[in-house]
Amino acid sequence: MYDLVIIGGGVAAFAAAIYAGRLQLKTLVIGEELGGTILLTDEIANYPGFKKITGLDLFRKIKEHAQDYDIEILEKRAESIEKQTDAFELFTKDEKLKAKTVIIATGTHLRKLGVPGEDEFANRGVHYCALCDGVFYKNKIVAVVGGSDSAATEALLLTEYAQKVFIIYRKETIRAEPITAQRVDKNEKIEIINNTNVTEIKGEQFLNAVILDNPYKGSNELKLDALFIQVGQIPLSDLAASAGAEINEKKEIIINRASETNIPGLFACGDVIDSKFKQAITGVAQAVTAANSAYEYTTNLPQPNESF
Amino acid sequence: MAKTIVYSSQTCPWCRVAKDFLMENNIEFESKDVGADLVARNELMQKSGQLGIPVLDIDGTIIVGFNQQAIKEALDI
Repeated sequence: MYDLVIIGGGVAAFAAAIYAGRLQLKTLVIGEELGGTILLTDEIANYPGFKKITGLDLFRKIKEHAQDYDIEILEKRAESIEKQTDAFELFTKDEKLKAKTVIIATGTHLRKLGVPGEDEFANRGVHYCALCDGVFYKNKIVAVVGGSDSAATEALLLTEYAQKVFIIYRKETIRAEPITAQRVDKNEKIEIINNTNVTEIKGEQFLNAVILDNPYKGSNELKLDALFIQVGQIPLSDLAASAGAEINEKKEIIINRASETNIPGLFACGDVIDSKFKQAITGVAQAVTAANSAYEYTTNLPQPNESF
Repeated sequence: MAKTIVYSSQTCPWCRVAKDFLMENNIEFESKDVGADLVARNELMQKSGQLGIPVLDIDGTIIVGFNQQAIKEALDI
């Protein structure tokens, strides 16, 4: 029986593990793909103590820190979770695990655009990570679809390779952070096509054009070598929901300030929860709070305020 | 030992994860940088029919992305 099982493999999961380790809880981190979405970030410049660090390096530092304590790691997918009267039962393909408390830190996966051609040209012109695949488009013409800070950051990264980078956004003004927006404005390679949706992706062996719902320079067809899709993320909350955790309309797990869900002993943190502002630093803060709440729960200390 | 080639780039994070995984398991491999080496890029396209990286060629078994389970099976580790 574990005191705590943490489901997830990203920075929030391992931050929770650091604290659980410090609190000497018998802890297991179970994650299918260690690292999570932070690995796709080239430059993190808002994590206190690090002026500039890559997502991979930050993840590794946090994981190594957690491994300084006596915690276990299982690189597998948690298939299901059941709340018993006094504990939780978790199942992988091969194992059944028992835990007094569970922290869900399952994060998100990238949202697809959902237009014809997206799957057909996946990795053949359709990409989701500039850091991973931008290198193929030296001196080419590419576009990013999306209007978030992440989309703008992807566009800026792509200017290091491509000769021209369009940002195609369905609304009037992209909603990047001021520092990012300024860099986009100043970058001569970037052109924003606003109030426009991509409705189809076309090509032969590789993508060669996208269809727009508004004409650009008189044509609905925009010739491109690649389209980088950055239209948000979907919380991976199904497992928590199956255990009875309350989920909002965005599929995020609802927690309170003690990182508690509505299920006693079940906590959540990171990109999967119902916060508007999702950063490594906010996820890590919820994670250590979750670990502390799990500790209090297992030691039968008075529970934190349960009101939401 | 199986002949292992990793098609990767300087910046791709999952490529680094894949190479570190091979090194941790003492697997020798040849690394080909598809960002700089156009011959390697053509090889990547021929072998995998796509441009996502990392791609591992383990004795002819082509694995697209860092799929730890598939890598373990191909290397029998």
